[in-house]
Amino acid sequence: MRWWWAVAALVVAVAAELAVGRGVDWPQLDPLEQRILVELRLPRLATALLAGGGLGAAGLLLQAVLRNPLAAPELAGVNPGAVLGVLGGIQLGLVPADSAAGALVAALLGGAAGGSLMWLLARDGTPAQIATYGLLGSAALAGITTLLLAYQPGRFGNALRWLVGSVDGRVWAHVSVAWPWLATALLLAWLCSAVLGMLAAGDGHAAALGLSPRPARALGLALSVALAAGAVALAGALAFVGLVVPHVARALCGADLRRALPAAALLGATMVVGADAVAQVLTLLVQSGSAGQRLAVPAGAVTALLGAVALVVVARRSPHVEVS
Amino acid sequence: MTAPTSAADGTVGAPLTPPRTARRWPAAVALPITLATAILLTLALALPADAEVAQVVLWELRTPRLLLALLGGAAVGVAGLLMQAALRNPLAVPELLGVSTGGALAAAVVVVWALPVPAAAQPVVALAGALGGGALCLAAAGTGRGPGAVLLIGAAMSTALQAVLLAVMAAADRLQYDTLFRYLVGSLTGITWDHARLTLPWLLLCGPLVLAVLPALGVLRLGDEAATALGLHVGRARVAVLGLAAVLVAVVVGPCGPIAWIGFVAPHVARRVRPDADARALLPWAAAFGALFTTVADLAARHAFAPAETPLGAWTAAIGILSGLVLLRRRGTS
Repeated sequence: MRWWWAVAALVVAVAAELAVGRGVDWPQLDPLEQRILVELRLPRLATALLAGGGLGAAGLLLQAVLRNPLAAPELAGVNPGAVLGVLGGIQLGLVPADSAAGALVAALLGGAAGGSLMWLLARDGTPAQIATYGLLGSAALAGITTLLLAYQPGRFGNALRWLVGSVDGRVWAHVSVAWPWLATALLLAWLCSAVLGMLAAGDGHAAALGLSPRPARALGLALSVALAAGAVALAGALAFVGLVVPHVARALCGADLRRALPAAALLGATMVVGADAVAQVLTLLVQSGSAGQRLAVPAGAVTALLGAVALVVVARRSPHVEVS
Repeated sequence: MTAPTSAADGTVGAPLTPPRTARRWPAAVALPITLATAILLTLALALPADAEVAQVVLWELRTPRLLLALLGGAAVGVAGLLMQAALRNPLAVPELLGVSTGGALAAAVVVVWALPVPAAAQPVVALAGALGGGALCLAAAGTGRGPGAVLLIGAAMSTALQAVLLAVMAAADRLQYDTLFRYLVGSLTGITWDHARLTLPWLLLCGPLVLAVLPALGVLRLGDEAATALGLHVGRARVAVLGLAAVLVAVVVGPCGPIAWIGFVAPHVARRVRPDADARALLPWAAAFGALFTTVADLAARHAFAPAETPLGAWTAAIGILSGLVLLRRRGTS
């Protein structure tokens, strides 16, 4: 059983995350350090766990339901749409800048809209085609987001959280809004995983087993939008988590959704927590190098680099990826 | 900009395709007229009343700006055509080569870390960064792979560069952000002859090179296997063409920042004017449409919300995204 590897990796990542956090000197904690730990470090950890789990599970669901190994929330238009929803809502004054519930609603609406748009545009394509459409759509949406920001540069730093994805500065108020939503969606997805798994075998097989494919696929898509948008509302569009994690999960636990789904959630959480630990170490290194700069490396930059390297390695190994 | 119009009227294109004069003639007449109107408007609109001031404005500000809009737009349009032909993919856009992101990243690192670089050298730094970003993407893609893999690798590398750029931008303050604004959105504001002098020699150098790679593009059009059978080293030819496209875009990114989406739209519109034509016949059209769109977008940028100036990139992105959606939709239904 390879579960132990996933669990052990998660434990290591959590330990690293808690160990590198600034302002807390293990093992002896004075009262101030205890407060920092409880009110800053632990919600940050919870944010990373929830966002990673949500994105990983959303990616796995999308790949299974669409039968497309390159499907991912960021390629299916869900993440960019959610980011645009949140930032547009804040920019137009519809959503208060620091309201977790408002961000969640805006991310859900935007994610659903972005996902439907990409689905309408690209549903007939081959997997690699859909991925390319998705990359282009993401670039377009990111362009719109940049333009939205162009007129209020002062808000750029804040908008960065959603553009790149960062777990910095999240407190219990954010986590307490997000976790019931994400936990419910994860539980629902796991309960439905046997049904959704049939879709992965093909519409014909699913129909022969007595399942009508269209409502089942709609359910799977809705659940993945719910998971991904919830994660984006909490921590922003952490790049490549939803694309890379499902592949690792399937390699570890097989293609059966009932096992792969919890594995994808675990591994996604591990990836984001580990990336945030690395980001914090990088932040410390950079700041000791150049005095006075307030650079905080976002966790999303680390996941993007990791994911891009993984994607390049995979694409270099398979010379016959055809996009037309 | 006489080359496009002189080539447009006749039989320069592929001899195999029957001429479709019914569609082509209106465009061959309308395009030069529109372009001339846009040029006149750019030069003449809202000139100051004082003759001496007007002359300085005309010569020192508007002429270099117009020149960069025309030549930069044409260069980006041609770069898009080269990429689409080399990868045989209508969705290959210069943005996926990591060029504009590389330029923005280099400029951002210099500004945010306050490295000792004079402000006048900033376009050169951005140009170097743009070339570096393109080289990185091409090196990651390598020569031995199919067009799909090259596109995917380029997209992944651009995304990674973008993430690093945003991480660096996180440390910028308000003033630095304003300095970097041009490299994030793309703008022709404040272009002078200094910028034009940086760009023009490169473009002159690239012109003959573009003409030199056209035969290889014609062979690549047949497919990788047929091209190999005809004696072309497909991987090397593809990397050479993409490298040329990267240089063309980088030259524009240096002084102006990313002029988004022109590289996507111009070749597509050119292909609608001349369907079934090969890269050689499409080249002048793509260049002319790129120049036209950029000039019109710059007109809009300057006058739409006058006296405030909106960034050029906003308008080109608006044009590009709208027409991109239309094109995708049409592809989907056909």
